[in-house]
Amino acid sequence: MIAIAHELLEAAVRRMPEDALTPARKAALAHFATSGFPTVSDEDWKYTNLRHAVELSNTWLGNDIVASPESNLTAAAEEAVKAITESIDAYWIVVANGIATVDTMPGANDLRSNGVSITKLSQNGDVAAIIANDPMTSFNAALLQDGLRVRVQPSANPSKPLAFLFVDEATQGDLSQARLIIDVDAGATIDIIEAHVSVGSDPQFANTVIQLRVADGARVGFVRIQERADSHMQVGKLIADLRRDAYFDYASFDFGGSLIRNDVAVNIMEPGASVNLNGLYLASGKQHIDNHTRIDHRVGPSQSREEYRGILGGRSRCVFNGKAIVHKGADGTDAEQSNHNLLLSETAEIDTKPELEIYAEDVKCAHGATVGQLDNSALFYLRSRGLDRDAAVQLLTRAFAARILAAAPIAETHAYIAQKTDQRLDALIHGDSQ
Amino acid sequence: MNMLEINNLKTTVGDAEILKGLSLKVNAGEVHAIMGPNGSGKSTLALVIAGHDDYVVTDGTVQYDGQDLLELTPEERARTGVFLGFQYPVEIPGVNNAYLLKAAINAKRRHEGRSEVDAFEFLQLAREKMKDLDMDPSFLNRGVNEGFSGGEKKRNEILQMVMLEPRLAILDETDSGLDIDALKAVAKGINAMRSPDRAIIVITHYQRLLDYVEPDFVHVLSEGRIVRSGDKTLAQQLEDKGYDWVREAASA
Repeated sequence: MIAIAHELLEAAVRRMPEDALTPARKAALAHFATSGFPTVSDEDWKYTNLRHAVELSNTWLGNDIVASPESNLTAAAEEAVKAITESIDAYWIVVANGIATVDTMPGANDLRSNGVSITKLSQNGDVAAIIANDPMTSFNAALLQDGLRVRVQPSANPSKPLAFLFVDEATQGDLSQARLIIDVDAGATIDIIEAHVSVGSDPQFANTVIQLRVADGARVGFVRIQERADSHMQVGKLIADLRRDAYFDYASFDFGGSLIRNDVAVNIMEPGASVNLNGLYLASGKQHIDNHTRIDHRVGPSQSREEYRGILGGRSRCVFNGKAIVHKGADGTDAEQSNHNLLLSETAEIDTKPELEIYAEDVKCAHGATVGQLDNSALFYLRSRGLDRDAAVQLLTRAFAARILAAAPIAETHAYIAQKTDQRLDALIHGDSQ
Repeated sequence: MNMLEINNLKTTVGDAEILKGLSLKVNAGEVHAIMGPNGSGKSTLALVIAGHDDYVVTDGTVQYDGQDLLELTPEERARTGVFLGFQYPVEIPGVNNAYLLKAAINAKRRHEGRSEVDAFEFLQLAREKMKDLDMDPSFLNRGVNEGFSGGEKKRNEILQMVMLEPRLAILDETDSGLDIDALKAVAKGINAMRSPDRAIIVITHYQRLLDYVEPDFVHVLSEGRIVRSGDKTLAQQLEDKGYDWVREAASA
């Protein structure tokens, strides 16, 4: 079993400049030392093997190039940034190879005057907020150069969504760690976009963590758009803590990447909170896309709704694991989750596991999963009306995805997501070998 | 030349032989009714003509306008003017009814070398035809047959037919499960399609529809063959004497 070379990691952490994050890095390193990277013998990582990420990490750690304070993007990466930032109208904050250049951020003043402040984690001082309680969040914190601290004040009223673009390129850093800590104050309303693009054909591994705290009565719309390059890996984790009557409306779209693992962990900590998690993953070639979600209903009443859908072609492999835990005493919990998959090829594989753990008495819970192929009778019906096979398949797969597209918050993203969905479906149907 | 000429057609689905040497000639301008008991092969005939690949043709020929129909894909058949009104129209949630209708019309127009239909004209025509069929225009914006009642689905099939203006329309038990108002609306739609250069094949279990759509010919299908053909009076005889009468006649 290949593992992270600990002495290299330790040396890399030591080489990083002494700053406000140093204690957090050291604590995270100590935590990581007890576990190392997860392996397939961990139940939560049974289907997702990080071997290549470990190999790449060891090479990178041995290369002695850890701290690169500047993160100038190549022309190719700039193009990738433009492609999305010019398509979706938002306040874009670019996190390049793990580094956010918040000083030169366009619209920063505009945001500030609308009640949204963004500072570097190192300047904020509150390093205790950095969560490093599992292998990947610890690895992230141990190597974190800096992160962003976002505060959305109660009066916040930005006219556009707040959008973070994580852009990575293999030539700059084969490894990147990025972290956002976002506090949405009581009563505030905000739309947040998390987008991922990357360029380069060499392997790359990004490890991102987003901590989101949604205070009393605050409302957050959240859209994740992942379109990393087809040789790039990413492990991402979103931790969302919801307070009284908080509302969190989330939708996730996976279009790219070679190996993608995205964890969403929602903590319902006070009564009245409500969460929607929706996800769509489109995989072709040899892509591996793993969505893990966990919703902890710690108190009731509270509501969660979750639906993930996947369309798989080629020899792709996807994983869905959705866990809802209704803790003791969380009466009045109302939880529903489902996962539906469409396999377009005989060599595609899905491992799906919706899970419910219920320790409370008065709850309403339902879950289910389906795996199927295209409905032959629907296909024939469309062809009998003159549509050729490809057009009929495109229409049926698009219809399968439509529910998730329709469920996504943040209208500014819809046209872009629809266009990406069509492009990916087209590639999937025509057997594009990614 | 016959528009449709079926000779000694034999088909299997799975291990079972359903059509066992069926022959039928249909000319432009004619309306044919095909009647028969359940399991006699009526729907199989319709689906074979439309090109469903669950049905394997083991023998015989199907000529349409002088070309080998069996060589064509389902979509090619549709574009050359073959239309099947399904017995059980499929619900396709998420696919917009108007979108499908327009895509179908455009597929046919492209095949004919014509330009795509104008969006405004399309809507106007669709609304007009829906009015004739007593259909609410809101059906255009719903998913294909999604949540439609039995009668609404059948009206939707007729709507597709009148919009697509096929040369050969096969209506598979379009009358079954309809109340009298829906039946009249459907019959009106079919009658409006009667034309010297179009043929219509009405497949039905009951004589009821034929009170409203008067056929030129009636055929009785039993155990995969046409066992008796005649004019519209044959339908009345069947209604009076029941299918046992033809079965006995066939085996005699």
